[in-house]
Amino acid sequence: MSLTDALDEMVNSGVLSPSIAMKVLFEFDRCVTRVLQASKTKASIKGQLHTYRFCGNVWTFIVEDAVVNVTDTDSTSRESRVKLLKVVACDGKLGANTDSV
Amino acid sequence: MAGAGRDDDDGGEDLSAIVEAEEDAVDRSVHPSGIVPVLQNIVATVNLDCKLDLKTIAFHARNVEYNPKRFAAAIMRIRNPKTTALIFSSGKMVCTGAKTEALAREAARKYAKVIIKLGFPAQFKDFKIQNMVGSCDVQFPIRLEGLAWQHGHFAQYEPELFPGLIYRMQMPKIVLLIFVSGKIVLTGGKRREDIYQAFENIYPVLTEFKKLAQPEEGATAALPAAK
Repeated sequence: MSLTDALDEMVNSGVLSPSIAMKVLFEFDRCVTRVLQASKTKASIKGQLHTYRFCGNVWTFIVEDAVVNVTDTDSTSRESRVKLLKVVACDGKLGANTDSV
Repeated sequence: MAGAGRDDDDGGEDLSAIVEAEEDAVDRSVHPSGIVPVLQNIVATVNLDCKLDLKTIAFHARNVEYNPKRFAAAIMRIRNPKTTALIFSSGKMVCTGAKTEALAREAARKYAKVIIKLGFPAQFKDFKIQNMVGSCDVQFPIRLEGLAWQHGHFAQYEPELFPGLIYRMQMPKIVLLIFVSGKIVLTGGKRREDIYQAFENIYPVLTEFKKLAQPEEGATAALPAAK
C-alpha cells in the first residue's frame, strides 16, 4: 500500500514515468514471491473474523483480537497480539503478495 | 430456580401441576403426539427487480464471496439473523439458514438494504418461502426394515446407500428421513403446518414399528446403544 502511494506521488510530481513505476511494482511482486517461496517459516493467525471478502481472486480478512504466531525453521516461535489485523492474500501461483496492516 | 418455586407453591399436587404445565407447552390439538418438530432451516427467494453488478457488490459490501469462475452468484452472509444469501446479477436472491419465516423475511430485507446502500434501485418483490426443514426425536428406536416393507409404496430403505429410511409422503407433500435412533428429519415443506401435519401422520406408524427392547431391558436401556 505505502509503496503504491509513494510511486503514485512520484509519478504525479513527474519524478518517475508511469512505466518505470509499473516496473517497480512488478519487481516488488517478483521479489516478494521469491522470498515467500524460499521461506520455510510457518505463521498462524487466530482471532475473531470480523469481515471477509473474496473478489477478483483476492481474499481480504479483518481479524479482531488476532494472535499471530510465527514459527521459524529452528522451531523458535514469536507471538504477537493485535486488536485489528487486516490480511490481504491472493493465490501464490499468480504471484504471491500478502501484507498486513 | 423456577422448578423449586413451583414445588413450594403447589405442595403435594406438584406432580399433576407439572403434567399440566407440559400440556400447556404443547398444543395437543395441533400436536397429538406431544412432540413439535423444530424448524432448522428455511430457504426463501425474493426478486430485487433490478440488474446488479456483482463485482461492485463484492468490492464494496462486507462478508461477500464472488468467484464467477466457480459460481455465478455473489455469496453474502450476515450475523443476525445468521443467514447466507446468494445474489444473482438478474436481481434474484436466495436466502438460506433462517430458523423461522419471520427471520427469513427479516434477513432478506437486510440483504436488500445492503444492496440499496450500494446504490442499486432494489425493490422487495415476490418474497416466497421455497423450502423448510424440521427435525425431531421420538426417543425410541425404530424398525426401519419393517416400516419399509409395509409402506413399500412411499418408503425407500437401502442401508448400504444411506442409513435412514426415506419416506415420501404424498399428503402433505413432505419427504421424511427416518433413522433407527428415532431421529426424524422432515423436508420439502413450504408451510410449517405441512411439516407438523407430516409428523403427526407418521407418528402412529413409528410407534407401530417401535423396536422392542431386549427382554429384561427397558426401552431406556436400549436408547444409548441406538445413539
